[in-house]
Amino acid sequence: MKIAGLAAVALTFSSCDVGGVHPIFPNPVSPNGQDIYNTYIGISLVALVVFLGYEAALLWVVIRYRRSRQPAGYVPPQVHGHTWLEVVWTTIPLIIVLAIAAYSFVELQKDFQPITGEQMTVVVSGHQFGWQYDYDNGVVVHQEGTITQDVPPFVVPINTLVKLQFRGTDVIHSWWVPAISGKTDAVPGYDNFSWLKIDQVGTWRGECAELCGVGHYTMQIIVQTMTQQDFDSWVAKQKAAASPAP
Amino acid sequence: MATTVLPRPKAYDDTFFKPISIWLTTTDHKLIGIMYMVTSLISFVIGGIFALIIRLQLAQPNLKLIDPETYNQIISAHGVTMIFFFVTIFVTGIANYMVPIMIGARDMAFPRVNLLGFWLVPVSIILYYCGFFTGGSLDAGWTGYAPLTEKAYQSHSLGVDFWALSIIVWAISGIMASTNFLTTIVALRAPGMRFSRLPLFVWAQISTSILLLIVGAPLAAAMILLEFDRQLNTHFFTTDGRPVLYQHLFWFFGHPEVYVMILPAFGIISEVVPVFSRKPLFGYMSMVAALFGIVFLSMTVWAHHMFTVGMNTYVEGFFMLMTMLIAVPTGVKFFNWIATAWWGSIEFTVPIKFVFGFLATFLIGGITGIYLASVPVDTQLHQSYFVVAHLHYVLFGGSVFAIFTGIYYWFPKITGRLLDRTLGEWHFWTTFIGFNGTFLIMHTLGLEGMPRRIATYARTDWAATNLIITISSFLIAASVLIFLFNVVRSWRSGEIAGNDPWQGNTLEWATTSPPPPYNFERVPPVRSFMPVRDLREAGELVEQEPVLTPS
Repeated sequence: MKIAGLAAVALTFSSCDVGGVHPIFPNPVSPNGQDIYNTYIGISLVALVVFLGYEAALLWVVIRYRRSRQPAGYVPPQVHGHTWLEVVWTTIPLIIVLAIAAYSFVELQKDFQPITGEQMTVVVSGHQFGWQYDYDNGVVVHQEGTITQDVPPFVVPINTLVKLQFRGTDVIHSWWVPAISGKTDAVPGYDNFSWLKIDQVGTWRGECAELCGVGHYTMQIIVQTMTQQDFDSWVAKQKAAASPAP
Repeated sequence: MATTVLPRPKAYDDTFFKPISIWLTTTDHKLIGIMYMVTSLISFVIGGIFALIIRLQLAQPNLKLIDPETYNQIISAHGVTMIFFFVTIFVTGIANYMVPIMIGARDMAFPRVNLLGFWLVPVSIILYYCGFFTGGSLDAGWTGYAPLTEKAYQSHSLGVDFWALSIIVWAISGIMASTNFLTTIVALRAPGMRFSRLPLFVWAQISTSILLLIVGAPLAAAMILLEFDRQLNTHFFTTDGRPVLYQHLFWFFGHPEVYVMILPAFGIISEVVPVFSRKPLFGYMSMVAALFGIVFLSMTVWAHHMFTVGMNTYVEGFFMLMTMLIAVPTGVKFFNWIATAWWGSIEFTVPIKFVFGFLATFLIGGITGIYLASVPVDTQLHQSYFVVAHLHYVLFGGSVFAIFTGIYYWFPKITGRLLDRTLGEWHFWTTFIGFNGTFLIMHTLGLEGMPRRIATYARTDWAATNLIITISSFLIAASVLIFLFNVVRSWRSGEIAGNDPWQGNTLEWATTSPPPPYNFERVPPVRSFMPVRDLREAGELVEQEPVLTPS
């Protein structure tokens, strides 16, 4: 029932995909991104009701209670308040926001805790202006700042739980690929963590989300997934390129 | 019904064109209020020009209208100008003018502090813009996150130093104004003006002043520590220090600052809705309680700007909960406003149109605030164009619509002349359409992954949306031109308003338009929170001879 409702809303949203205007995020490809997406849809269900209800009430006031629509000599009732009504419209929003907060908190505990059981760890460090990815197998990928969008991809194998360890080397940067998950800041002085696990082969784009200087807009990100087999040969090629034969 | 008509005072000071020496030395809260408002409107125009430059640069992918360094300076200047030098200054100015009159006082409690507090504002503004002439202004956004503002990354210019000094001066000015407002309201209320009879606008000013008094100092502290880093080589916020500490200090000010800008707006709306609906404000006590609920909650939510820096999830949960709870008192206000208008007899003048514009748009800002408060969703939306859209719905759709409401409502009191209604209608509709055209569609850019503060982009699928936004933003610019034209023309030769053009409720409508330097010959008796309406209905309102007469 609930899922059907979510699906209906998601369908309504995606059907208004006109001319590159998306009222929701790109289809998430990692489970944590999917959970954020569901939270977003869940809040939207309530938000739409509140929005439409209040705007309709406003419209009603504008149409019905304008002076030209009232009988001549109409004296409005001099109401100073109504305790029960005020209690009701204090309590109902309170219940709504508590429900949204609880729902969000459960999702927060689920996807934003440090993970264990990762199959791979990559240290992502941001600098002015670019990203460096240090794999635990020794491979290093550099995405140096460019606006042309053809940086070397950060490659991960599919169906693999990858732990991302973020590190700032100069100022604060923020690593964000909307189709995968939310953003995580790369702050100098301590490490932040996130993770991804993508079940399909593809390429996704993102960029730095925290103003980090004059080249902020050039800090492009490309994430590419491969099957384990392709990934292994990619690793071998990277290692060969990094240490040319003597 | 008037029984006596008081004669016009002899030494009447009713002209705008006074000798410059009067403007420079006056301690009259009304003239200082006018100077606050005029200064802030100049800032509004400057900040608006910055906005148009930003929109032109982003109209299409890969534009090189301005270089990235200049772009970063301009987005920073746009934010600083609009937040510190326009909205906050305007709401201080209109309160400076109205609060003493509304409580039946002759002036502010400390007129010379008022004078000093105002003149620190131009000092602060000039200090900030000095950055542009010394090798480059602040280019780290209006929030100026360290360590990007540190010497290691900003050694080439004095822009950051001028910004820090400017904000320190601004904070001192704000603390002076807040102290003055609180003392005035506590000590100088007219006989009968009990706290339970204060107009909502005055209550809003009490809550705003408490906020600014508390959070002004941490802001100055952040700036002073930053200057220690830059000038004395300390390591508070440097790469080797604790950059996130800066964010805590800044947002401990920065989030309440949002309420410093919106609570006076709430006050304006609460004054205007009852007058034009011909009904008393619905739920006076719950409106006051909601203000103080917001004051309390707003100081417990600052870290919701920092959900991606990597905090403990329970800490994040706390800030998420407190942030969402703000929806409750704000919701009470929204429901009370609509209940005030319900069953009313609403006269659709220009001010009430801006009120409905405010209600319709600020609601959207409030709702998107819930999305941003939810930590998981915020990690997607944070620092994207969704946030830019949200904050403009709150600041423009909220504060600025209320500021325009206040201007159309009180202009006749301040100048003695009404703003032209036809031009006002044009102004409202161009603003309303231009505003929503610019910012409604902007939410989707953020969802698609466009970060804020990027100098340009290569993605062609963002081009159409950005072009629509840019075109709409010029409609807002046109609306501001209409507004300014209206203000200048109406001030010179607008229709004469008389003392009480709207049949208002509060004390300012009992005096002349414009009021004499001492505000009231005799303060009318106060029997409820709508003293002038009580007198009008009892037939006891003393008519004043109008100041302006048709020539």
